[in-house]
Amino acid sequence: MATALKVNGKQYTVDADPSTPMLWILRDNLNMTGTKFGCGIAQCGACTVHMNGEAVRSCQLPLEAAANAEITTIEGLTSDNKHPLQQLWAEMNVPQCGYCQAGMLMAAAALLKDKPNPTDEDIDNYVTNICRCGTYPRVRAAIHRAATMLKS
Amino acid sequence: MGIHKEISRRDFVISTAVVGGGLAITATWSGAFAASGSTTPWATPTPANVGEFTPWLTIAPDDTVTVRVNSPDLGNGIVTQFAMTMTEELECDWDKVRVEYASATRDYLEGGVYSKGGGLSYFSGRSTSPGKMEIMLQVGASARERLKAAAAEQWGGVPVSEIEAKKSVLTHKPSGRTLRYGEVAVKAAAIKLETEPKPKPQSEWTFLGKASPAKLQISMITNGSLVYGIDVREPDMLYAAILQSPVHGGKLKSYDFDKIKGLPGVRGVAVVDPSEPRKMADDKVKSPFPLGLSAPQSAIAVIADHYWQAKVALDALPVEWDDGPGAQWKTTEQLNKAAYDAIQKPGSKVELTRGNTLEIIDKQAKVVEGTYLTPFNDHVTMEPLNGTARVTADRVDVWHPSQHSQQGFYIAAEETGLPLEKVFFHQTWVGTGFGRRVYGDDVRMVVAVAKKFPGRPVQVIWSREESIRQGRFRALMATKLKAGLDKDGMPVAFTSYSAGAKGFSVRGIPDGAYGVSIIPNVHITSEVLNTHFLTGPYRGPGYNSSAFFMETFTDEMALAAGIDPLEYRLRLYAKWPDAGWTKCLKEVAAKANWGKSLPKGRGQGIAISNWGMGGKPEAGTTVACVAEVEVSKKGDLKIVALDVSFDTGRIVNEDAIRAQVEGGAIFGVNMTLNEGLHIKDGRIVEGNYDQYPMVRMADIPKTIGVHFGGLSGHDRMGEIGEPPVGPIGPAIGNAIFRATGKRLRTTPFREHDLSWA
Repeated sequence: MATALKVNGKQYTVDADPSTPMLWILRDNLNMTGTKFGCGIAQCGACTVHMNGEAVRSCQLPLEAAANAEITTIEGLTSDNKHPLQQLWAEMNVPQCGYCQAGMLMAAAALLKDKPNPTDEDIDNYVTNICRCGTYPRVRAAIHRAATMLKS
Repeated sequence: MGIHKEISRRDFVISTAVVGGGLAITATWSGAFAASGSTTPWATPTPANVGEFTPWLTIAPDDTVTVRVNSPDLGNGIVTQFAMTMTEELECDWDKVRVEYASATRDYLEGGVYSKGGGLSYFSGRSTSPGKMEIMLQVGASARERLKAAAAEQWGGVPVSEIEAKKSVLTHKPSGRTLRYGEVAVKAAAIKLETEPKPKPQSEWTFLGKASPAKLQISMITNGSLVYGIDVREPDMLYAAILQSPVHGGKLKSYDFDKIKGLPGVRGVAVVDPSEPRKMADDKVKSPFPLGLSAPQSAIAVIADHYWQAKVALDALPVEWDDGPGAQWKTTEQLNKAAYDAIQKPGSKVELTRGNTLEIIDKQAKVVEGTYLTPFNDHVTMEPLNGTARVTADRVDVWHPSQHSQQGFYIAAEETGLPLEKVFFHQTWVGTGFGRRVYGDDVRMVVAVAKKFPGRPVQVIWSREESIRQGRFRALMATKLKAGLDKDGMPVAFTSYSAGAKGFSVRGIPDGAYGVSIIPNVHITSEVLNTHFLTGPYRGPGYNSSAFFMETFTDEMALAAGIDPLEYRLRLYAKWPDAGWTKCLKEVAAKANWGKSLPKGRGQGIAISNWGMGGKPEAGTTVACVAEVEVSKKGDLKIVALDVSFDTGRIVNEDAIRAQVEGGAIFGVNMTLNEGLHIKDGRIVEGNYDQYPMVRMADIPKTIGVHFGGLSGHDRMGEIGEPPVGPIGPAIGNAIFRATGKRLRTTPFREHDLSWA
């Protein structure tokens, strides 16, 4: 069955079972592999994308629920890799293996949109992604600095 | 072309080996090629317009320096460190440096160009081992001098001594003429120097130990373009979902393909039969680890056009298993009891004995005793296990997130039986390893499945549940420790009886400081339980358990002696000929404000351990930790602060070290608080994060205190990936004792009731 999708501002038509999780539609049908598979049960957040500006875990988002929505993936967060978060991630040596970091960035970007001055508690509540390498202190510090950058 | 030809170490370091080595030179360097070569890090043949100085180093016309690295980067910054070491001597522009993974096929064809020589025994391990650093420094120095020689020739034979090499530019000082490295790279690569330059001494380094660049691959992480194993996309690729015998070692009894054959996208099933004959075409090669460690498991995989289709069909496929002998372990309690029973007396293997321990231990002023246990843990690699392979009649290609690409190369050769020159192992980026991807059972299963669908690339993905339940676990281990203390409260006799699941290790006990010399009389034994669970190295094998046992026990000795836990350790290590230990203890205690007054329910704990010392002082990496915790009356635990000091001897990239210590400490928190697998009817119960929780942002202190004042300056650069996990757990446990009076002798702590009144 063909479903129309809008991902990173572009229209696509996907022929797949409407119950297929968006995670696999993005990765296997649309070849956007930046969104990662981590657990499949919405626990780890490696698959986080934006749907109409909200952070959602795409492993639990069926294709049919994403039709007609604006989906943004890590590939579409910016076109130039220059979101303050992306810049600070590099400057502050935030990632280790990097596998969870697309999800981290998407969660953090959604947080900053909602709460331009996030407290530590806001960060705890919005960025619940799992990182096995233990980048949490750097993720937190980079989000605070990005908030400052976005203000100026 | 000499296969397995032994070459001298010197030739190996400096010469250009057999060019091509069966890898046809086809491409021409272009900028676009450079970028794609980084998101996909596996080796590509050196293009004709690129200068290859040695198999380790090429320089392109646009000055791009490619450093070929043989240890996969698991997030620990290894490739960046290799590149930094090369840059120190090459004097190239850091912004022009990229990395690529060395080809195991080329290594095989060209006499071990990437695996022979000091410290390069295999395609894994750390970047600062002396042998690996020596190679990078020598190759960089040699290439720099060859570039100078080529420029001198270009400038009509000016003296080489008048040429300066800096930031990828060669300058003729008297005339001011310049050439970029890329302009003379091909010519320089063909030059053979009469005498090879000697790399400069550590004291003259200007980049190593001074600069702290971030990891080279970060910009490709932040835009999602870095290609991990699971991101490989080859033309005509199919996907497979795999299920292995839920009881390790069991056998597939039956399945009913008819029930799923009509499902969308399904192409078929692949059955992996461990009893099928497998044979390496070249029986003279020696793999880094025994190939038996990657023995195939009985399994079935569904192959489909897309992964989700394969997964849905696999979940719907009726499958029956013959569990085999592993089913005898009905419960976790049964296994724990077997371990506890086995440590009530000395084990059959004596690991170390000294003095007349058994006669004197009970006659001391005080006797302290404790029984400890750490369970099976899974690595839970962030990137679930996966890999891609295409097997044809005359070639196999494997794209894989390996922790040891040479081991994977040999496994692919054995699994297909193809001649080794027809085996191509493409090392991808890796979403964490922690030891899980070393033995290569994941490579084995990928190739075993793909060879049933020859001609098309098949990407095999383990679900998270499959990834955890088919782990190669940190082996369950129990230990009974006992010490006889003299009238001053210090240990004079010590026994340690350990037992554990097959694959466990007592590393850190006989070869730790107590075993080696601090305690005069010791008797240390072990006993292996007859278990079927598959085990493997897990971040600091053996050590991650023994550090918990020994440092919890040390606190119990200090308590019995009535001496402050810090003071007690300082007295113990005063006898140990490695000043780094007391330096680390004093540093971390000062930074954490050790001994500050805290209300009931709050407490500090301290611990110290060393990974890599191998029974010697001034070796490996020593790490000390002070943890501060808060335990509510109801028993909720909060880690208020973690301070860590360490002694690697010296360091070469301060921020890279800081990142590893932070990450290692957080790994240690999770290992101690959360991790532990349970058993039911020979199977692993936990499958996903809902049952096997991970710490998240809210669970750890906002900053981890990483303190550099413990560094001794000793002339070594100890590793930093594994050591930090050791002292974290016991420091937290010791802090919990001081907060609540409850002594925790088993992990995970989340299974303990910490409530107090």
